[in-house]
Amino acid sequence: MERLCSIEELKRLRALLVRDVDDRRPRIVVCAGTACQASGANSLLRAVKKYLIEANLVEKVALRITGCHGFCEMGPFLLTEPQNAFYARVALEDVPRLVQAVLADAYVEDLLYRDPVTGEKFRRCDDIPFFKNQQRTLLEMNRKIDPIRVYDYITHGGYQALEEVLSRRNREWVVEEVKRSALRGRGGAGFPTGLKWEMLARQPKDRGKFLVCNADEGDPGAYMDRSILEGNPHSIIEGMLIGAFGVSATQGVVYVRNEYPLAIKHLTIALRQAHDLGLLGNDILGTGFAFDIKIVRGAGAFVCGEETALIRSIEGKMGEPRQRPPFPVQKGINGKPTAINNVETWANVPLLFRMGAAKFAEMGTKGNGGCKVFSLVGKIKNTGLVEVPMGTTLGEVVHNIGGGPPGKAKIKAVQTGGPSGGCIPASRFDLPIDYDSLAQAGSIMGSGGMIVMDENTCMVDVAKYFMNFLKDESCGKCFTCRKGTQRMYEILDDISKGQATLEHLDLLEELALAVKDTTMCGLGQTASNPVLSTLRYFREEYEEHVYEKKCRAFVCKDLVGAPCQAACPIDTEAWRYVAHVARGEYEQAYQAIREANPFPSVCGRVCSHPCESRCRSGTAGKQPIAIRALKRFVTDRVDPSVYRPRRTKAVQPGGPRVAIIGSGPAGLTAAHYLSLAGYASTVFEADAQPGGMLVSGIPAYRLPRDTLGKEIKSLLDENVTLKCNTALGRDITIDELLNDGYRAVFLAIGAHKSRALNLKGEDVPGVFPAIEFLKSFNLRGQKQARGRVGVIGGGDSAVDAAGVALRQEGVDSVTIFYRRTRDEMPAQKKDIDSVLEEGVKLETLMTPVRILTDKGRLAGIECVRNRLGEVDAGGRRKPVPIPGTEHVFLLDTLIVTIGDVPAIEFMNSMGIEVTDWGTVKMDPATLATSRAGVFAGGDVVTGPNTVVQAIAAGKKAATMIGRYLRGEDLKQPGVPLLPEVYVEPVQLDDDALAEANRVEPPVVAPAARRRDFNEVELSLSVEDATREARRCLRCDLEFTQPKEDAVPAQATAGVTA
Amino acid sequence: MITLTINGLRVEVEQGTTVLEAARFLGFPIPTLCHMEGLSPYGACRLCVVEIGEGPKAKLVSSCTYPAEEGLRVRTASARVLRARKMVLELLLASCPQSKVIQDLASAHQVRQQRFRQEHEDCILCGLCVRMCEEQMMAKAIGFRGRGSTRSLGTPFDIKSEVCRLCGGCIYVCPACQLRCTYTEPDKAICGGCANLSPPCVEKERFDDMMCYMNPCVACEIVKD
Repeated sequence: MERLCSIEELKRLRALLVRDVDDRRPRIVVCAGTACQASGANSLLRAVKKYLIEANLVEKVALRITGCHGFCEMGPFLLTEPQNAFYARVALEDVPRLVQAVLADAYVEDLLYRDPVTGEKFRRCDDIPFFKNQQRTLLEMNRKIDPIRVYDYITHGGYQALEEVLSRRNREWVVEEVKRSALRGRGGAGFPTGLKWEMLARQPKDRGKFLVCNADEGDPGAYMDRSILEGNPHSIIEGMLIGAFGVSATQGVVYVRNEYPLAIKHLTIALRQAHDLGLLGNDILGTGFAFDIKIVRGAGAFVCGEETALIRSIEGKMGEPRQRPPFPVQKGINGKPTAINNVETWANVPLLFRMGAAKFAEMGTKGNGGCKVFSLVGKIKNTGLVEVPMGTTLGEVVHNIGGGPPGKAKIKAVQTGGPSGGCIPASRFDLPIDYDSLAQAGSIMGSGGMIVMDENTCMVDVAKYFMNFLKDESCGKCFTCRKGTQRMYEILDDISKGQATLEHLDLLEELALAVKDTTMCGLGQTASNPVLSTLRYFREEYEEHVYEKKCRAFVCKDLVGAPCQAACPIDTEAWRYVAHVARGEYEQAYQAIREANPFPSVCGRVCSHPCESRCRSGTAGKQPIAIRALKRFVTDRVDPSVYRPRRTKAVQPGGPRVAIIGSGPAGLTAAHYLSLAGYASTVFEADAQPGGMLVSGIPAYRLPRDTLGKEIKSLLDENVTLKCNTALGRDITIDELLNDGYRAVFLAIGAHKSRALNLKGEDVPGVFPAIEFLKSFNLRGQKQARGRVGVIGGGDSAVDAAGVALRQEGVDSVTIFYRRTRDEMPAQKKDIDSVLEEGVKLETLMTPVRILTDKGRLAGIECVRNRLGEVDAGGRRKPVPIPGTEHVFLLDTLIVTIGDVPAIEFMNSMGIEVTDWGTVKMDPATLATSRAGVFAGGDVVTGPNTVVQAIAAGKKAATMIGRYLRGEDLKQPGVPLLPEVYVEPVQLDDDALAEANRVEPPVVAPAARRRDFNEVELSLSVEDATREARRCLRCDLEFTQPKEDAVPAQATAGVTA
Repeated sequence: MITLTINGLRVEVEQGTTVLEAARFLGFPIPTLCHMEGLSPYGACRLCVVEIGEGPKAKLVSSCTYPAEEGLRVRTASARVLRARKMVLELLLASCPQSKVIQDLASAHQVRQQRFRQEHEDCILCGLCVRMCEEQMMAKAIGFRGRGSTRSLGTPFDIKSEVCRLCGGCIYVCPACQLRCTYTEPDKAICGGCANLSPPCVEKERFDDMMCYMNPCVACEIVKD
């Protein structure tokens, strides 16, 4: 490499290089950034090279090895030029095909990147949403150049900005230009770079000045600085040269972590090249300007990213911040004026000179120029580096570029700025990303780490994680930072273990504010942010931990215990009965089930089984245990009489009586547990028979009526009086009940009114609200469906209505219309599958816009097709109608079920407050309504919900009414429900466990079941049930297993003798 | 000369004066633990924080390290300062309850409770001894090691230092370990006040270990002897 002695020579060199570029030459580009190397890029490279040599293609196909492109999720990947095709997660055996395709200017269609959701195939890399929605001003270069070849950099406009700066020879202009660009420090604090340079330029230059590139990137999960250093080291050198010229600095330092070996290697090579070319050292490009850069390797203390600590570290002292003022621009390294900028800031400098300061400023928002690179990690589909203009909203980054959550769990928050940053909740995803907005929201921009969190992330745990990091990484000089972070960690640890009180929360907040206020450096002043921001946005989660002793994300082990039990709304010890089934102890299993659940046979059939969605066997990668099916298996085999309810108190003659309105699962459960606690009750039912939705809503083919009847009958003991055909508002009022001697009232009247579509013609014959349709059949045997049947909706009642309609005589076809996609249907997947097997058709992404009538009767509906649009507040994509896709379906019967609401128009007049969305208003913690002595639970407060939630409401109501009648405090702190009983495990051996798959219960063949109402699902066989139960990972053992140190007495005696 | 305002009073000081020195010159009391005349300012204990600046830009800084600046407006006892100081003292009391100096400071600042898990540390890492050894005794025998919660004080590799002259300067300046309660007989030593704090100021099993030096006791206000 020949030394360049003038600006002209550099220009000539570039012209020569550019002339030789052949854009059409077939070329393979492989990313060899650290992330891709970890996922196998080195093997891929070897395979490509080997094939090129073996096939004698070295002259024909070029290979470029580059730094990180950012799409780390897809590594190792391979790009081809000039096709611009992107092949993700390339397998080594596919290399020959890919090379041949490049050579033939073709695509390997089956290996092209596909969108994981839509399955859409992308031929051009630039069309992939992950890349398309970004504006890649910095990262783009990583793809184009080989970091160890300076000519690559020069070819792509490298050192052009330096050329211009050195030609103008105007130092003030350089600083002014940076000021105009509104470039702010990318390290996190966002200090205007131009201002910093101006201050340094004003310092006397006789003593020498330092420029520092801060590459001490220490935030967990952030790696954009590393990627720039690895992928484009010359941009840092060029940026520092321009800065040095502008502020008359003579010495540059790159302070980089020793754990970035690849970055150090590439930077060392780049520095040598720059020296050889005469771009560094004395008399740069013959202009007389002198500047040199050396690398200082840091030992990896987080605090050394703080500028005064960094300076001390460069000086060879302990990395410990000191008081500012004096600021480093006044007194820095060895007392000399020093300016410290982040890697990304330096990389932006040549860019802003190449594109012009005005244009650079335009890219961002006011006062926030340019683009910012973020490392997007956590619970997100597309992990990687993304670059967007300042002012882009968080939502765009998370959903449009990141692709949203990888699983079903909704995204809850984004943590920005690393340990010094804060958590921003999903409700604020409209926030534009710039320094000021993020600070206002209680977080910071930081260096650009963005950790996405979903519902399985516990915010207390997040705060604890960061505090654990900070208590070790604080330098320890300021007492409040050292002790404060340690004390905050202690309190958070107590909270996560259920040992804290509400006072601890106040103390935590007080301490966090004090630490923020009283520490010296940026680390201490921001150390409280993880705590303060989670407290600000997720306080209810903290309170839940402290008061109810619950962790809704199932993370805090000491509160969760066995996840299946914690997930069950009625605290069923699922692990326990599964363990008993594994041992063949069915009676004990039944007792464990029945203890928590008065409707075991019902729940064995129709429960929504939240336990299974939390089962560790499922969350750990295999399938969850079929807990519901095992429950059904037990109830099918055991006579209910083996269970004797535990009565805590006998009913006193003349004792208080409770009125329960509604005999659904909530009402009957409340009556049962009140009876056990010694309170007599009367259950009022509006219909002719008890059971509520269990009878009127759920079809007999899912829940046989004799099974249900037996279970209901078993609950009506001598303390429970049932009065049918008595409706609240029609036959009785709350005043009457209270005057008649009832001391408390429990409202559990369910949600029995279907919401209307609000379309014209909805009242014509042939259109039925789903509840009316189901009730007419289930209670009175009326068959209303005929001909072609349409069902609008996607919930359980839509699927049930479809199944019932299909089984009625005179029905030709049944079609369900749903406005979103099948994945988003709220109904249970098993039930949807079941009716589809039976022949029900499903039309998704359809919204009815018109009801067609003929001679006053239904004739059909007109639907418009939707596409999925923006993500709404609930985390689901909104259906957006596509104009011009209207389509008519001819129908004879239309069943509408787009949500049910309680029929409670009369409540207000009885002194019970109602919410805006038509449910009874109550305190979720106590179920108390606005009227003393009146409680409410079940669908009437939640809207349509699951059976198990209704049972949970009934149980809670019984507890609360008991407390009310005894004059106790309704609100009482919870206790964590940890497994207590030890059941000796019988598990499958490792080999059998590896092979064992989840057992699905047998079902009647679709052809046989679609015309009758006999039960569809059958019981598990003993072998299947045993095998399934033995698959359980037994999370309970951690809590129940006898400790090994409890050595039997005999053994101890043996040792001493 | 530099003019600044402290608690509304204007004061002229020489270039290089710290805010603490200026405030003390005016007679405003500012508590300190890690500051000592003759030793360089360090800013570790954070007790000496004062409020500077106005409105949303107001912030707390340690007065012992902050240089007096032209036009600076300082408040040494604003509500924010006192709140912060109380929390610092509560943290100190939680870690180092035996120190007479800390007990007195806590008492003077109406710190009546200690809500953290009680620790019994002998050192608050104020660094006075390190600076004493280096700056006055010219020995540099001791220094800090480690960072964060594992930061500690000692000689390199914990080997007896060859440069240490056993002058005792480090012990002399220590605010935490000096002047421990010397009462070892239960009937004389115990007013019970310390044990009645919640959580108890001293959680040791035997009276012998109790090194309470509160006088008067912050809880029962009994004056000993």
